Formats: sequence, C-alpha cells, structure tokens
Amino acid sequence: MTEYSNQSRAGGDYEWHYEYYDEEEPVSFEGLRANRYSIVIGFWVGLAVFVIFMFFVLTLLTKTGAPRLEIPDPSEKHDGLGECVLEVRGHVESHSLFHFYIHEEERARAGRGAVIGRGRRSGRGQTDEDEHFLSSFNIPNYVNSEPPIISDSQSAAPKSLEPAHSAYDVIQY
Amino acid sequence: MNSSSEAPFTNLTDCAEVQVPSQVFLAIAVASLSENLLVILAVIKNKNLHSPMYCFICNLAVFNTISSFSKALEDILLLFTDAGHLNSRGPFELKIDDIMDSLICMSFLGSIFSILAIAVDRYISIFHALRYHMLMTMRRVMVILSAIWVLCGTSGALMISFFVATTVKIFFVVLFFTALFLILLLYVHMFLLARHHANRIASMPGAQARHRQSGLRGALTLTILIGVFVACWAPFLFHLLIMMICPENPYCECYRSLFQLHVVLLVSHAVIDPAIYAFRSTELRNTYKKMFLCSASRICKQCV
Repeated sequence: MTEYSNQSRAGGDYEWHYEYYDEEEPVSFEGLRANRYSIVIGFWVGLAVFVIFMFFVLTLLTKTGAPRLEIPDPSEKHDGLGECVLEVRGHVESHSLFHFYIHEEERARAGRGAVIGRGRRSGRGQTDEDEHFLSSFNIPNYVNSEPPIISDSQSAAPKSLEPAHSAYDVIQY
Repeated sequence: MNSSSEAPFTNLTDCAEVQVPSQVFLAIAVASLSENLLVILAVIKNKNLHSPMYCFICNLAVFNTISSFSKALEDILLLFTDAGHLNSRGPFELKIDDIMDSLICMSFLGSIFSILAIAVDRYISIFHALRYHMLMTMRRVMVILSAIWVLCGTSGALMISFFVATTVKIFFVVLFFTALFLILLLYVHMFLLARHHANRIASMPGAQARHRQSGLRGALTLTILIGVFVACWAPFLFHLLIMMICPENPYCECYRSLFQLHVVLLVSHAVIDPAIYAFRSTELRNTYKKMFLCSASRICKQCV
C-alpha cells in the first residue's frame, strides 16, 4: 500500500492504457459546436443516400429504359463489350452495344448448331420465347437437375429444363 | 481500479467506448458457422454443383467459416482472460492472439476476393457465354482459388505483423474501394444487359405483365447485394481511415468509440453472405430438401 501512495505522490508512473488507442494526451471535449456524433450520423446518412440513389437509378432504368440519347453514328462499331460500360443505352437501337451483342450471338448460333439444341429452334413460339431463349442459349452455370425425357441427337440438350440457377437469374430474379 | 487516475479521463473523454457483450459475437459466429458449413456440405455432396460458379460460392463460404471460427475462438479466449485463467500479456497468449488476428484478416481479405471472383465469373458467363466453358475450366478455377488463398494467407500474416504501419491500413482501404468499384461496374453492366433482353422480350405480345415486376426485383437484388457489402464493410474501413487521418479530433474520437459495433457489422456479413449468394440457388435448396428428407425418412424407418 505504501508503494502505491509513494508512486501517486511522485506523479505516478502508473499508466492506464487502452488497447486500441495510442498513448496520446486525452482528447478535449470543450467547446464542441455540433453534436458529438456528427461524423457517425453523417457517415450513415451518406451511406443510406448512396444506396437509395443507386436503387432509384436502377428502377428508373427498368421503368423508362433510359431516355433516348443521341442516335449513335452508324459507322462506329463496338468491338469490345468491355468498353463504354457507363454508357447507358437501354433502348433498342440497331447499333447499340447490346443489340450488337445479341446479333453476334444469333449469328454465332446460326453458324454453330452443335452447341444448341437444334430440334428446338424450329418449334420456337413467341409465347414462351423467354424460356426458349434461355434454354437454347446453353447458358453457363446452368444446372440441369432432371434427366432428359426424350433422347435427342444432341446429348447436351435435355428437353425438360429447370433453370436451377443461371447467372441470368441472379439479375432477373 | 485506481479512481484518481480514472477521473481526469472520464471528465474529458465523453465518448466512452461502446462495449458489445461477447455473447452477441458468439451468437453471430455460431450462426455464421452453421450456415456456411451447410453451404460447403451441399456443394460437396451434390455433383451438379461442381461447377466454377459454385466453387467460388463454396470458397466464399470457407472463408466465412474460418473468420467466424477464429472470431469465436478469440471471444472464448477473451472470456477466459477476463475470468483470470489466462494472462493477457503472456508471450504465449500474445502469439495466439496474433495467429487468430492473422486468420481473421486473411479470411476478410479472402471474402472480398471471393465476392469479386463471383462477380467476374457471372460477368464472363453472361458476356462471353459462348466461350465460357473454354475460359473457365475447372483447372483454371483451381489455379485462381489457390492464388487467392496464397495471396490472402501471406497478406494476412504480413498485415498483422506490421499493422502499426500506415501502409497496411491504406492497402486495406484501397483494396476495398477497388473491389467495390469493380463489383459495381460488373453488376451494373450485367443488369443493363438483362434489362435490354427483358425489354426485347416484353416488346413481343403476351409478356407485358411480368416485365415491370422482374425489373423491380432485379434492381432490388442488385441493391441488396451491393448495399449489404457496403453497409457491412464501410464502417470498419472508415474507422481505419479515421485512425490515420484525425487521431486527435473529438468528433473522430466519438466515431472510433463505436469500434465494436463496426466489428459486429463486419462479422454479420458472414451471416448474410450465404443468404445472398448461396441460398438463392434453387439447386442448392433442393439439395437441402433431399438431405433432410432422406435423413428424416431414415429416422422414421428406424422408429417404425
């Protein structure tokens, strides 16, 4: 006990350390103009604004399909899909990035029949265009959980399709 | 303990650190462990799920398992220390503490990289669908996964050894923002393509009703995906930034006093991840149904 009192009288080399904070002088809280937690509140408000803004931008894109921008120059061709990512072209234009991609797919599909179920293309109706589009696309990560009912010449094209999970479903859920 | 040296502190430091009881951490860790172990089990058991995408999802689950396991272990050891069985300053305990911190750091880095890998894989499967199976062979997937593990392992060990250096914190923050930017880019691009396809389909007769609903659901999915990622990681990263930028400012001090809450958010990310990535897959859910139905019917047969 006397050692304690000696030390406290001598100015004390007893120090109280927090694990996370450095050994600095204690922070003074005198004369704060705003609320103490203003940074905390500002941070969370900023985060919420960011998320809500992103959600509204995405829903706007789905509702209006992006406002009609200037008609792109027919001579410019987009070779790479990776470029101009932030160029929003939701409308169906013959020279838009995605339409070009769709055309490229259809050309490739017409050329290479081996990958796709040939027997189905002829029977494609417009009512279930969605499912046929997905099914005849040979989508990667497409899990066929049911065995083929009708044995085709194409072994990779089962007739009954349950899109268990495709990358597309991620977005179009 | 020593009130005379405590009093000056309580007068000046108004923002006392918010303590979260260890039971909360333990509960979150147990929930995360069970969910992620279920995901790993389902992916291993079902042969249909041995594809690149599910490998990446399983990898994410493994990292989450490691992080929640190490966090739980750390909490248990802290409980022992508080009860007096362990010396918090002993060399052995410090070493154990360092090892667990490296494991946690490694698993945090690993989950960021896994989420990025999942986004890149989905992107390739949509935009390079015809060449996907040539680009993403299982061999390449294994190479990518081992590269992620080696990178995260070494980074975790290095970061904990040199944590006091500012470079480490800057590296962590930069890594997070790069990953976030890339994820935003990839998913928004995929979303735009999906919308374009949906518009084309909707322009044909007979499919009008589903158009709006699927659009909203897509936007909601994407917002939840990115929103959860940002909401769980950003507070902790902002804490690191504030530690570097303004260690003396009282406002910053009040933000730093919420450190344990931010760590709670960080570990709860491991609980939410399976719900966002793994459990959305119908095939995975079917695997669970089969597993539980089979075990239930086996139990019933034994009872009868």
